[in-house]
Amino acid sequence: MFGTVYTGFGYWDVTAWIVFFAIAAGLTLWLRAQGREDFKEGTDQDEIYWSGNPVPEDGAEISVPASSAYWGFRKAMEPFYKVLTGMHTGIGTDIVGFYVLTVAFMAVFILL
Amino acid sequence: MNWNDHLPALLLMIPLFGAFAAPLVCLLGKTMRNVLLVGLSFVTLLVALLLWKSVLAGGIAVYVMGGESFNLTLPSGMALPIRIIMEVDAFSAFMVVCGSIASFAGALFSTNYMEKFTGLGRFVSLYFLLTLGMLGMMITGDFFNFFIFIEIASIASFGLVAFWRDRPEAIEASLKYTLVSQVGSMIFLIAAGALYGKYNALNIAAIGSLLQFGVMEKIALVFIIGTLAMKCGSFPMHMWLPDAYAEAPSGVSCLLVAVSQASLYGLMRVCFSLYGVNLGGSFIPWMIISMGLASMFFGVTMAVVQHEIKRLIGYHSVSQVGYMLLGLGVGLLVLTDAHGMAEYGFTAMKGGIFHIFNYTMYKGLLFLAAGAIYYATGKRDLNEMGGLARRMPFTTAMFVIAAAAISGLPPFNGFVSKLLIYESVFAVHPALTVVALLTSVLTLASFVKVFQTAFLGPEKSVFTGVREVPSGMLFGMGVLTLAVLGATLFPSWTLSNLVEPAAKALVDQAGYIGAVMGGGL
Amino acid sequence: MIGNAPFFVVGLLFLGGLTAIFIEKNLIKIAIAIGIISSAVNLFLVALGYRAGGTAPIHFLAGERTVMVLPTPQAMTLTAIVISLATTAFLLSLIMLVYRHYGTLDVDEIRRLRG
Repeated sequence: MFGTVYTGFGYWDVTAWIVFFAIAAGLTLWLRAQGREDFKEGTDQDEIYWSGNPVPEDGAEISVPASSAYWGFRKAMEPFYKVLTGMHTGIGTDIVGFYVLTVAFMAVFILL
Repeated sequence: MNWNDHLPALLLMIPLFGAFAAPLVCLLGKTMRNVLLVGLSFVTLLVALLLWKSVLAGGIAVYVMGGESFNLTLPSGMALPIRIIMEVDAFSAFMVVCGSIASFAGALFSTNYMEKFTGLGRFVSLYFLLTLGMLGMMITGDFFNFFIFIEIASIASFGLVAFWRDRPEAIEASLKYTLVSQVGSMIFLIAAGALYGKYNALNIAAIGSLLQFGVMEKIALVFIIGTLAMKCGSFPMHMWLPDAYAEAPSGVSCLLVAVSQASLYGLMRVCFSLYGVNLGGSFIPWMIISMGLASMFFGVTMAVVQHEIKRLIGYHSVSQVGYMLLGLGVGLLVLTDAHGMAEYGFTAMKGGIFHIFNYTMYKGLLFLAAGAIYYATGKRDLNEMGGLARRMPFTTAMFVIAAAAISGLPPFNGFVSKLLIYESVFAVHPALTVVALLTSVLTLASFVKVFQTAFLGPEKSVFTGVREVPSGMLFGMGVLTLAVLGATLFPSWTLSNLVEPAAKALVDQAGYIGAVMGGGL
Repeated sequence: MIGNAPFFVVGLLFLGGLTAIFIEKNLIKIAIAIGIISSAVNLFLVALGYRAGGTAPIHFLAGERTVMVLPTPQAMTLTAIVISLATTAFLLSLIMLVYRHYGTLDVDEIRRLRG
């Protein structure tokens, strides 16, 4: 119905994907339905487990800020990022400089 | 008189009328202003769709401004076209459709988003001027006219980027953009003047039919490519782009995405239709491919470490433009090689052009969603957000769709266009695909970060008063979501109706030239 | 040789303006440098359309005319002048606002957006 896209080396069919997605979703929901339903409400079984500590009222105390995400990645790539952020000086004339240098570079190499 | 013949002129007239009617209409009150903004954007979209339909049915549409008849390109006895000529082939029509969808969505979004601010008459004026400049760049067939539309779009966007002039950062972003853009357009004008001096013509088709590849043409080519690549934000000339996109009001960022695509359109028009087979060797195609690779990789690595939401999305613009440069650069590389073109070049071009559509839609949607977050919470920094999915379910859903599409997750449309690019560029060199795949992974990583920190997680007490944004903003985002989902569910329809005619028109240099040079009496 | 003199002047003006953008730190001077570049480009366009001994390109002008200068570059120049006027005015007003917000005109100090 929706058709297939051929790339020359392979193809993409959105209908097939949706069918497989439906099968996988059905399987997952079935697995989930196998869980136990006989817990007692209002007791400790119903509580959020947070390393045995009381859960803070305000979510701000337990959320991880975005700057901490991928900390290891940034630490590992620090030399790379030092060069890259060093390039982004934020000075207006540097931006013009990069533009003029690129044009000059292309002009020199195309004439060679 | 057949209205279809006059669609190219109408497409420019409507936003131009809106731009100059806006200050007057604003005197009539808020409702009339919003009606003008949304209504005329919608009419522009309708005209764009009609134009696209008529171009698909009837071939290249040529419109002579101020001529005795609309298609009289060569008045009696003239060897070269003398008037300003609009030339709309399938690629232009495709770009016009993309651009006017983004313009309509941005306008719909801005009605509610900007209502707290003053000076909206000027906002509406500049918004229409920016739309006009963008559409003009896409349909003009004249080189100097292209420069004028670039400048209209640039000046309007300087004004819109600095619209919140109480924010120092907005002024700074606009200043940087003005500096680099002004030097760039002057260099572009030198190239246009040099081509005029040599060929006595300003029409792209006329120059294309006469062009001999010499020293002067080489210099003109690098000047044009440098300027237009800077305008569409390719590495290493992209530094103004995240600043400007992040500081502009969100509805404008959505339109600025489409405007950068107009520059990309100009770049491809010059490479394919003006120079085309005269491009002389593989230096320029490889230059475009390597700019694409560098933009992809460095853009996305810069995006991963950002923590201001719109700035992060702005860096993703740099990396997404890389995909199009890669796909179209590979097409350019095999332009004279019929075997390679049939084998993988045409697929790469289809991927690149399909990516233009997808990118305009989901990147516009991401900017609008970021704007919705800013509207609802007043925050731009991801570090201060969290748990917004509970309060803003519709925004969250649309953001997820856009984020999945930009990361190239199946089944979304971003995946289809990226697949077309991956599976064709590796025929040139496998390393190209490796960089593209790596970029896609890092894109996913950074959007997982945005989604997790902004929408998921425990609810913060400062956000208990946050409500879902007003309906105008939701409708604006909804338009783009519909476009993304449409391209997702009907990829083969989109490819065969929107993308393939555009790719065919782009490689057909003789057809583009013939529509002007062979259409005389 | 002397016919090419305008183009040498164009080159000198252009390079002068470009150099000034990089060595000057004051934003007003950078705006002036951009104005010089625009003038260089306009001069280039006008010089391009000149034909030796040509008269003004007005068809109904009285008197003997055999050679006319090209009218199109003049039209282009007029347009380019208007555009550069608009951008210069805009640039100066931006610089005014930058001074109000940052209290400086040094281009190296206006860099809150970086990285």
